[in-house]
Amino acid sequence: MSASSDLVAEAQVVLPADLHARPAGKVTSLAATFDAEIELAAGARTAAAQSVLAVMGLGALAGQTLVVRARGAQALEAVAAVSAALGET
Amino acid sequence: MTDRRTVGIVLISHSRPLAEGAAELAAQVSGPDVLVVGVGGTDDGRLGTSLDALTRAVEKVAAGAGVLVIPDLGSSVLTARSYLADSDDLPDAVRLVDTAFVEGAVAAAVAAAAGLTLDAVATAAEEARDVRKL
Repeated sequence: MSASSDLVAEAQVVLPADLHARPAGKVTSLAATFDAEIELAAGARTAAAQSVLAVMGLGALAGQTLVVRARGAQALEAVAAVSAALGET
Repeated sequence: MTDRRTVGIVLISHSRPLAEGAAELAAQVSGPDVLVVGVGGTDDGRLGTSLDALTRAVEKVAAGAGVLVIPDLGSSVLTARSYLADSDDLPDAVRLVDTAFVEGAVAAAVAAAAGLTLDAVATAAEEARDVRKL
């Protein structure tokens, strides 16, 4: 294991809109382009950001705070990009 | 992200409106970079499946990155199987996956939009079988 593969990052985003199918698709497609495991947490529920069905299953609503966590070589970039995408939904 | 060729997706059902509706939904979620086509009904407009229609649909979405075929039930599966077995001259790498029709289509379309390989798109589609919605 190289040190870079153990990078972890985390950020919080307040959702401007409900995380419905279309924004979930956008976030998931973006998440899949990074070399990192990315997780979204909404309260006690978590979802792999690369799974559109899991992200939709969060049922996250406007005004809710989501936590974006990533682990892997591109954890920092992934958290920045996914947080930005969530903030634009 | 340099290669924008994406995996194409064909949904095959007995019912053309069902297949086209699922394709419309999947395409809405994935955005415009992915070709998703729904095909269903017999050539004379009844419920059923058509090998010719499936062949045309696969040709339509083939862009060099592979094509994923998602069947609904019964003869959709048989038609897709005979297409794979009998076509000597497939337009692209074609994979048939065993998954939930709507959920698999959405998961596959989003994975394809990310530029993932045919294998990865097929895996995303298959994982849809195990995702709970409640």
